[in-house]
Parts: sequence; structure tokens; C-alpha cells
Amino acid sequence: MSISELLAEYGDMYVQALLGTWWMSLVSFAFAMLLALVITVFRVSPIKPLRVVGDLYVQIFRNIPGVSLLIILVYALPYLKIVMDYRLCVIVTVTLVASAFGSENFMSGINTIGVGQIEAARSLGMGFGKMLRLVVIPQALRSAVLPMTNLAVAVLLTTALGSQVPLSPPELTGLVSYINTRTVGGILPFVISALMYAGTAFVIGVIGNAIDKKVRIVR
Amino acid sequence: MTQTQTGEALAAEGTPVIELRHVDKHFGSLHVLKDINLKVGKGEVVVVIGPSGSGKSTLCRTINRLETIDSGEVLIEGKPLPQEGKELASTRAEIGMVFQSFNLFAHRSIIDNVTMGPVEVLGVSRDKAREEGMELLRRVGVAEQAEKMPAQLSGGQQQRVAIARSLAMHPKAMLFDEPTSALDPEMINEVLDVMVELARGGMTMVVVTHEMGFARRVSDRVVFMADGAIIEEGKPDEFFEHPTTERAREFLDSIKGH
Repeated sequence: MSISELLAEYGDMYVQALLGTWWMSLVSFAFAMLLALVITVFRVSPIKPLRVVGDLYVQIFRNIPGVSLLIILVYALPYLKIVMDYRLCVIVTVTLVASAFGSENFMSGINTIGVGQIEAARSLGMGFGKMLRLVVIPQALRSAVLPMTNLAVAVLLTTALGSQVPLSPPELTGLVSYINTRTVGGILPFVISALMYAGTAFVIGVIGNAIDKKVRIVR
Repeated sequence: MTQTQTGEALAAEGTPVIELRHVDKHFGSLHVLKDINLKVGKGEVVVVIGPSGSGKSTLCRTINRLETIDSGEVLIEGKPLPQEGKELASTRAEIGMVFQSFNLFAHRSIIDNVTMGPVEVLGVSRDKAREEGMELLRRVGVAEQAEKMPAQLSGGQQQRVAIARSLAMHPKAMLFDEPTSALDPEMINEVLDVMVELARGGMTMVVVTHEMGFARRVSDRVVFMADGAIIEEGKPDEFFEHPTTERAREFLDSIKGH
């Protein structure tokens, strides 16, 4: 099958798959950032049970494979009478994993701030919340831009987990299996998907670098 | 009732702004503060000197509870320092602190560093805080740098901004924890000049420093510490001319004669 035949027959599906991949990546990444922020606040809070919960969360979701997590969500949760749409299962999986890694990025951002500025904030009479909101979080966000850019790319690629469940329309990786079960596409369908992933990742990288340049803190 | 009357009576006589009573502290097995007793009256400038590791920085930091203590009491205007929480935060807001490493907020401009406390902690309006902040920056000689970021300033300038940031809170007292120790020699005086001006203006100050000239010229009292204890205290002239303890004599000998 030539590239023109392939695109003639599956071009529309590729566009839909690309949009689907973008959408899942965007939603997962946005929720992952929010969750990561909350988990990180837990992990630096003065209340020990919160710290334990935060650390445990990261240990769990950073350290189990996305596929296992997806299988649990798809096949195990229905036993607990929780049934989620397949696409939602993928988004939740990617969000949970990415938020654990995101929290690690925020933590290393926080570690660059140093105890001095925190003591200065406290001696100005700031309580924990104000110190976090005015001094710690803004700086942690800024120094986390580049690692978060990498994470955004990882999120994009992790949405390929969607190929393990029946999505309709399929995302980029799922579409490749879809095509190859119907026609003898060979390597070509893979290459097209791969180029779409790579192109998206490149754009993410450019955006990330631009944001970093803008907000980077000179020390 | 009786207590209130006593309180008022004391205030009339001049309750010390800062008072430490029998303060003890350990870092593990190391006894870093040994039965410290210290009173600092309103408008008084107390300089704490001593060899490194003598506990003078720790002493300074216990006053606004950046360091906790094992036993004893720290009183601000006669009231014991509260436990960690809202009340302690508001007590801290009343005591300025200047650090060895400046500790300006790296992500905010110079003027933002100075207005952040008044706006966010005291609830002063942004315009008013900015006006006052600019006035303070003028006073410490860095008004032209107001819109720059901390990393763009020299160490001496940063430290003067840090002093302005503390002053913006209208503190009852200021603590200086080795404010010139991280500075290049040519920048020390620009910071000391600001401190001298503050002292002359009647600010209550506790200054941990190695600047003996400053101690001599500006302080009302010199406190000499060694091995976690206050060994000797007195008027600067008396202390520097006629130290009464062997330990203080040794220390003074060791720092002169260069």
C-alpha cells in the first residue's frame, strides 16, 4: 500500500486520531499539574498525616506501570461498581502517573529556593499559607518549567496506552493497529503516527523553552 | 486585675522590648545556649560578639523563634513568645530580621520585596506601601534600583534592600544576624552606615557582628559570648579597654594586631 492510498483511505481517521491524542494529552496534563500542586503542598505541609499521604501517593503512582494501572481501572474497578468510559480510564491513568512525576518536579523546584528565603518570609510574619503562595509556589513553578515540558512530552506519549482499550475513534497508536488489522500497511502507518507524535513533541518543546526563557529567575 | 496593673506599671517603667530568661538550647549533644539572660530596653543597641560557634547567631534567632528553645523564656514587651501559629506570625511581623545572606525573594523586584510584607501581612494598600517603600529605598540609597531583580544588585545593595524590607513593617526591634559577613570589604561600610543611622534614630537593635568598630562607635552595650554562654557584658568602652574575663581578653587579642 502506497502512502497516497493509505492517506486516501485513512487520512480522516489520522486527523481524528491526532486530535484525540492532543485532547487526551491536554486534559491529562492540565489535571496532572493541578493534582501535582496539591500533592506537593501536602508533602511540604507542617501536618504529618498530609505529608505521609502525599509521599505515599507519589510512591504508588510513580512506581507502577501505566498499563497495570489502566488494567486495574478498566477491569478491577467495575467490581467496586465503578465503571468509567474507556477514554476516561486512559485520561485518569495518565493523570495519576504524570501527577506523581509532576510533584517530584515541583519538589526539586522547591529545594532550589533554600531555607533563607523561607526564614525571611516567616520573619516578615507570613504564616504557612502566605509563604507558600507568595514565595515558594511562584518560584517552584518557574524553576519547574523545563522538567514539566519533558513531562508534557511524556504525557503525550503515554496516551498511547489508549491503544490497549477499544477507543472510538482510536488515538494515534490505536489507529496503527486498526489499520494493520484491515490492510497490509507494513511499517508505513507506524511512521505516519510517529511523525505526528514527534511533531507535537517538538512544538511542546518550543513552547516550554519560550515560557522558561520568560519566567526564569536569575540567581 | 492585679496582673494587668503590674503589666501597666512595668510598661511605664520601660518593660524591656526583648527579654531572655534562663534560655537553654541543645543541638543533639551540643549545648549551644547555656542559661542565657538578656534584656534589651527600648532604643537600646546591643552588639553580640564572640568566636564562631559561640552561639551568638543562635541566640539572635531564638528571639523571633526561628530557633526553638529547650527551656527558659523569651519575652517581647513582657509577653512570652507564643507557640508556632498565627499569634507567633504576628509577633514576628513586629520584629525585623536581617540575615547574613540577605535572603531577598529572588522572583520579585526590589520594590516588591519591600512592599510584600506591608501589603500581604499588614493589609496596607498597594499604593501606600509603594510610596513608603520608595521612601525607604531612598533612605538606604537604592531607589534607582527599585524595578530591578535582586540578582542584579551587589551584595551591599541587596543587604540594604533587606534592611528596607524589614523597616517597611515598622518593627519594634531589629535583629541583625552577621549582616556584613557575606559582603566584600568595600561594601561593608555602606551597610554599616545604614545601621548607624538606624541606631541614631532610636531603633532597638540586637546586632551579631564581627565589626568591632561598629560595636565601639554605635552600641550601648556589648555582650560577649563563648561556648554558648554570655561571659561578659558591658559598655563598649569598658569592654574593649578593660575586659574583665580571661576569655574576652583572649578573644580581643586574637582579633587585633593585624
